[in-house]
Amino acid sequence: MTTETTPPVAEPEFKVRVEVDGSSRPVVVLFWGSSLLWLIIATLAGLISSIKLHSPEFLGGIEWLTFGRIRAVHWDTAIYGFGGLAASGTLLWLQARLCQVRMPYQTLLLVGGVVFNIGLVLGTVGILMGYSTGVETLEFPLWAMPLLVVPYVFIVIANFTMYFTKTTKHTYVSQWYLMAVTVWFPILVLSAEACTNLGAVDGVAQAIANWWYGHNVVGLFATPTAIAAAYYLIPKVIGKPIHSYHLSLLGFWSNAIFYNWAGTHHLTGGPLPAWTITLGVVGSMMMFIPVITIGINHHMTMLGSFHLLRTSPTLRFAVMGSMIYTLSSFQGSLEALRSHQEVTHFTHYTIGHVHFGMYGFFAPLMFAMMYYGMPRLMDQEWSSARLIRIHFWCTLVGMSIYVIAMCYAGIRQGLMMNDPSIPFLNIVRFTVPYLAMRTVGGLILLTGTIAFLINFIRIITPHKYTWATPTLLDTDRDWKKLLAQENAEKRGVQ
Amino acid sequence: MSRTFLLAFGIFLTIASSITGLVIIPNWQFQELKPVVKLDGTRYPEVYFGDQARGRAIYINQGCIYCHTQQVRMKGYGADIRRGWGTRRSVPRDYLVDQPHQLGTMRTGPDLASIGARQPSVEWHALHLYNPQITSPGSVMPRFEYLFREVRGGEMVSSDAIKIPLGRQIGDATHIVPTDRGRALIAYLKRLNQSYPLPEANQ
Amino acid sequence: MFGVFMLIWSFALVSGIVMVWLLSWAIRRGEFRNLRQGARMIFDEDEPIGLVTDHFPGAKR
Repeated sequence: MTTETTPPVAEPEFKVRVEVDGSSRPVVVLFWGSSLLWLIIATLAGLISSIKLHSPEFLGGIEWLTFGRIRAVHWDTAIYGFGGLAASGTLLWLQARLCQVRMPYQTLLLVGGVVFNIGLVLGTVGILMGYSTGVETLEFPLWAMPLLVVPYVFIVIANFTMYFTKTTKHTYVSQWYLMAVTVWFPILVLSAEACTNLGAVDGVAQAIANWWYGHNVVGLFATPTAIAAAYYLIPKVIGKPIHSYHLSLLGFWSNAIFYNWAGTHHLTGGPLPAWTITLGVVGSMMMFIPVITIGINHHMTMLGSFHLLRTSPTLRFAVMGSMIYTLSSFQGSLEALRSHQEVTHFTHYTIGHVHFGMYGFFAPLMFAMMYYGMPRLMDQEWSSARLIRIHFWCTLVGMSIYVIAMCYAGIRQGLMMNDPSIPFLNIVRFTVPYLAMRTVGGLILLTGTIAFLINFIRIITPHKYTWATPTLLDTDRDWKKLLAQENAEKRGVQ
Repeated sequence: MSRTFLLAFGIFLTIASSITGLVIIPNWQFQELKPVVKLDGTRYPEVYFGDQARGRAIYINQGCIYCHTQQVRMKGYGADIRRGWGTRRSVPRDYLVDQPHQLGTMRTGPDLASIGARQPSVEWHALHLYNPQITSPGSVMPRFEYLFREVRGGEMVSSDAIKIPLGRQIGDATHIVPTDRGRALIAYLKRLNQSYPLPEANQ
Repeated sequence: MFGVFMLIWSFALVSGIVMVWLLSWAIRRGEFRNLRQGARMIFDEDEPIGLVTDHFPGAKR
């Protein structure tokens, strides 16, 4: 089981890499490409809900597009559509590269990718039609879930197959995270569905199960994948091994142990036994350990190489992501404190924090992965440097406007809500300008995503546009010709 | 190979421990909770039936949870009770019959744990759902006009029609009549009431 | 209530013991030796340490 796919040792590593990339192309491009389409859908749904919150008459009277439905569609398409597909593409490609094996089960994974997309469409339409389950983050109707779960099982199998047939001697940090994701995510989804929509537990315990899942889907699915990407991209791009491998071990296990327990802080002050909330707060506080160790590792590796941010698109997004990982995790840990929650729980502050993490940390790292991977997978350069720059600045500026507006408005909103002398409607009126600012931030983010999509479409279609001096792939060219020749000869022999 | 097994086992252990600690143990702790029987023989909380159950389904599929919570925090933690959103804090027993739970985590709008006690009038709920600006000017709540049938000037007005206050009419509709769905949602909202003094809420 | 706490504490104790045992087992097996090697495995002859592997398209190396 272990050595069949081993290429002869004498082959240059580079040739292995080209083979790995070539075998990953159809699957990974399908996952990444469709993830971008879902990002556009999620952003549009987010924009519609954002506009509705300061101008409730916008698209009013259409039951399909009422706030409560389009808001659910926004989050579910963002986390499962964009997040699920982008993270799975990243997982498959990174694992194949780090194991140095060809992508296994290509047809199965392609079918899985298509089925996953069909499941997303069904789930989205289901919510819009009013079949939402009403459990936050698990809104997709139950009949859409098998179409999401079964393809994910394919991904899990492919991931384990690659790991068991790996031809490398060592295991890289990123691989621990990727393995962890494929163990955690199926367990998470299945047990959370069982505990909520299938009714294995009820009442308040169901609320805990709901937020155990809601927090972990970000922490045990999106976060580890993005950290794995950062652990690969930052050292690889700047050509410098990671700062401390020992620290990365500590970071991994402390993250694995503590993140699990943090979810109940979403119910602080709620009708739960106090000890469950305390566990959540303790778990959130302990998250300082992995966050600091991972932060040290990423930032210390970058130290001395910051000038490369000017020249490398991948690095820009990767460093933005890893820096905001540190910031948003600090914010999140502090936010879990009871005294903090007394004010900001139930306010827009939470929404600001979620977007800080998802659009400031997770999404940029997925973008970085695509910026690094696509030229190598497609054997073609990005067609426009300007579009990349537009994408980067739109992401950074749009996200900042969004997060600052929401966090500031959230704190003020929370303080006002805790003062019973202020009528509730005054608080609503106070937040409206900030909600409008959020729409502006969202529009900027949408602009950036569209710029990226244009570049992405160009790179997957053969374009005539070639650079005078190839930047990424010049050394690869000769090898690829050689490989093609070799393959042609092989076919000729048969 | 054994190293991989160790990695996978360790990873599995982390998640298994948290779901046991956070979900299974609390659920087991709540097994002994039963509804209380009130002096008049009725139970609290009573299961949802008829219009209330249908109304709850509408509450869920319209996504009310994204702006409204159904949980009152204890005295001294936030201003929930001082704002009049409840007379006591919410306790696990209040949610015995809730499937799925609708606790919520966002208060773009006020808490609804006891909205039935706060706003007992069908007319208020109907007008508020039909057009929130009538009862709460400046609200950002969407209009749920599709839960109502509009009655135009000159049409026969049935007995369950509700008059739209003058100056708040949109177009030529003068009255609204809740559809079956509208009636069900209002029945559900009217039933939301956590004012029964459960003993554990005072601890 | 007492039963619940007993359960939680015994559960925490058992998982704690298992964790410590796993850690000592891993140390004894030498899992923590040669860690630097793992950090270097993403580099190879064609893309060695010191080589920057990403640029804006069209930019000269």
